[in-house]
Amino acid sequence: MNSTLTMGRTLLKIFSRDRQAIFFTLFFPITFMVIFGIASSGGEDPIEIGIVDNSTNAFSERFIDTLEADGLFNVTIGEEDDLRDMVVDGDLALTLIVPRGFDGREQAADLTMLVDAAQARQTAMLTPLVEQTLLNVERELRAIEPLFPLTVIDVQARSQRYIDFLVPGLLALTIMQISVAGSGYNIVEYRRKGILKRLFVTPIKPGHFIGGLVLSRLFITVIQVSFLLAVAVVLLGVPVEGNVIELLALIIIGSSIFLSLGFWMGSIAKTQQAIMLLGNLITLPQMFLSGVFFPIDSMPDLLQPVAKLLPLSFVVSGVREVIVNGASLIDQIPTVIGLFAWLAIGLTLAIRLFRWKEVAT
Amino acid sequence: MAIVEAQELVKRYPKPGSKSEHFFAVNGVSLQIEAGEVFGILGPNGAGKTTTLEMIEGLTDIDSGDAIVDRISVSKNPNKVKELIGVQLQANEYFDHLTLSDLLTLFSRLFKRDEDPNILLAKVDLEEKAAAKPAALSGGQKQRFSIASALVNDPKVLFLDEPTTGLDPQAKRNIWKLIEDLNSAGMTIVLTTHNMEEAEHLCSRIAIMDNGKVIAEGTPQKLIMEHAPEAPQARLHGNLEDVFLKLTGHALRE
Repeated sequence: MNSTLTMGRTLLKIFSRDRQAIFFTLFFPITFMVIFGIASSGGEDPIEIGIVDNSTNAFSERFIDTLEADGLFNVTIGEEDDLRDMVVDGDLALTLIVPRGFDGREQAADLTMLVDAAQARQTAMLTPLVEQTLLNVERELRAIEPLFPLTVIDVQARSQRYIDFLVPGLLALTIMQISVAGSGYNIVEYRRKGILKRLFVTPIKPGHFIGGLVLSRLFITVIQVSFLLAVAVVLLGVPVEGNVIELLALIIIGSSIFLSLGFWMGSIAKTQQAIMLLGNLITLPQMFLSGVFFPIDSMPDLLQPVAKLLPLSFVVSGVREVIVNGASLIDQIPTVIGLFAWLAIGLTLAIRLFRWKEVAT
Repeated sequence: MAIVEAQELVKRYPKPGSKSEHFFAVNGVSLQIEAGEVFGILGPNGAGKTTTLEMIEGLTDIDSGDAIVDRISVSKNPNKVKELIGVQLQANEYFDHLTLSDLLTLFSRLFKRDEDPNILLAKVDLEEKAAAKPAALSGGQKQRFSIASALVNDPKVLFLDEPTTGLDPQAKRNIWKLIEDLNSAGMTIVLTTHNMEEAEHLCSRIAIMDNGKVIAEGTPQKLIMEHAPEAPQARLHGNLEDVFLKLTGHALRE
């Protein structure tokens, strides 16, 4: 059998027996997915508010029922002193005090709102929300149609939750992490332990060894990323709009980019500590700048052009467009160009700097 | 004709902090090793023993000179030479998560062979450890496994780099026995050692290296007569190793 395949199969066998590595490479993205999946499954949490009803008449009860029915609020009814304490403790965002003689007739009734002014941002956000709601309640109680009804239409014509945005980012992040670890970290370990030298006692050529390593890592990446995607689809209901074959192609190109960057790092770094530091130096900024957790467009203007050129940004963007928007690769030529440019850079660095001859020492 | 021939081998490294100056790890080493002998390379640490071996084995680039193994030039055809030789390295760490049997299968396939790992393990008395991982082996077992992995291609010449360093006397004698058995079955053996008793016990000829050069060469008898001809004081008693072996027995411990 060909040495490349022998090597690839052996490395796969090693990985399949390394339960810790399998667990930890999947643990991080799955934890993220589950936490954010749960957090975004119920939509927005209702705002906790308190109401002190000083009128206790049919009108004030109808007012409270209308507020409760809104869904935006979770209403607690009680005495002013108790509810005031709850606002102080942060258990309630605010407390509305309904005055005596609140019957919706003749003169306007002054409602009082108790807030914690230290929570300035929250108060500023909530006040218009409460006013808007009071206006709605007033219209409903008085049976007035709004003069300017506003209908909101999502131009993407589908509802996107945060988890739908996050999952493609996490997949791309996982591709980067397992690829860099698979080539760079492994090469340094094999060299340090003398395993490479032991291999080169046999007539295997460096190219066969690298080929076997690349094949096995690509296989591992495809399996792991597919598993993560399956978890996202089955457990979290994340829709995959695009073509699975194109997604597979993106995973393989992305993984190849980071494998080659990993080989490059592995040939610079002499020790396990050095490769860890170098690996973090290359991967951590990308983790935060490449639009994994939030869109690049929401970052400071100065950072955006740089962030958009990072290798992980192209992978994130490609994977996200395919999964979320059902875009094909032809729809995103700039991303594809970016990916191949990074692949060329990665391969050049890896081949130029990888010490083929001294690989064993 | 010699089965292994080193011709004026040179290996130089840049001196730390200087690009133009070099330090010679190996400086013009020539050796003739005949088929069927056990040839020992002796010398203090840093003498260039391992580098010399690794140049002959095709693991380290030769800066000048050449090594010929069974009429094949290492510098021209390193992979052809690798197919003829077995190499045991000083470091013997392997991939995690692979058993002895997996590792021997891997090495054998890389030689395009299909050797039965169990037969190889039986040769070094490790057949019961086929499913064990190298990390679980004792020092002596590791060395024996290392020799087994050097036998996967049924080599004509076996290179052993300090095969008994760090072993207890029982394990050391067990390795000696293994080397003698392999040699009497026709295998040429080249080994490095710091242990003079080992060299005297095993080697038909010896080269002593220092500072990258061979400073003496010959049979142990010849070297002794040349450099230490005085009769030693009559040995009235055994040495401490004799005491140790008497008290703990000759049986191998693992």
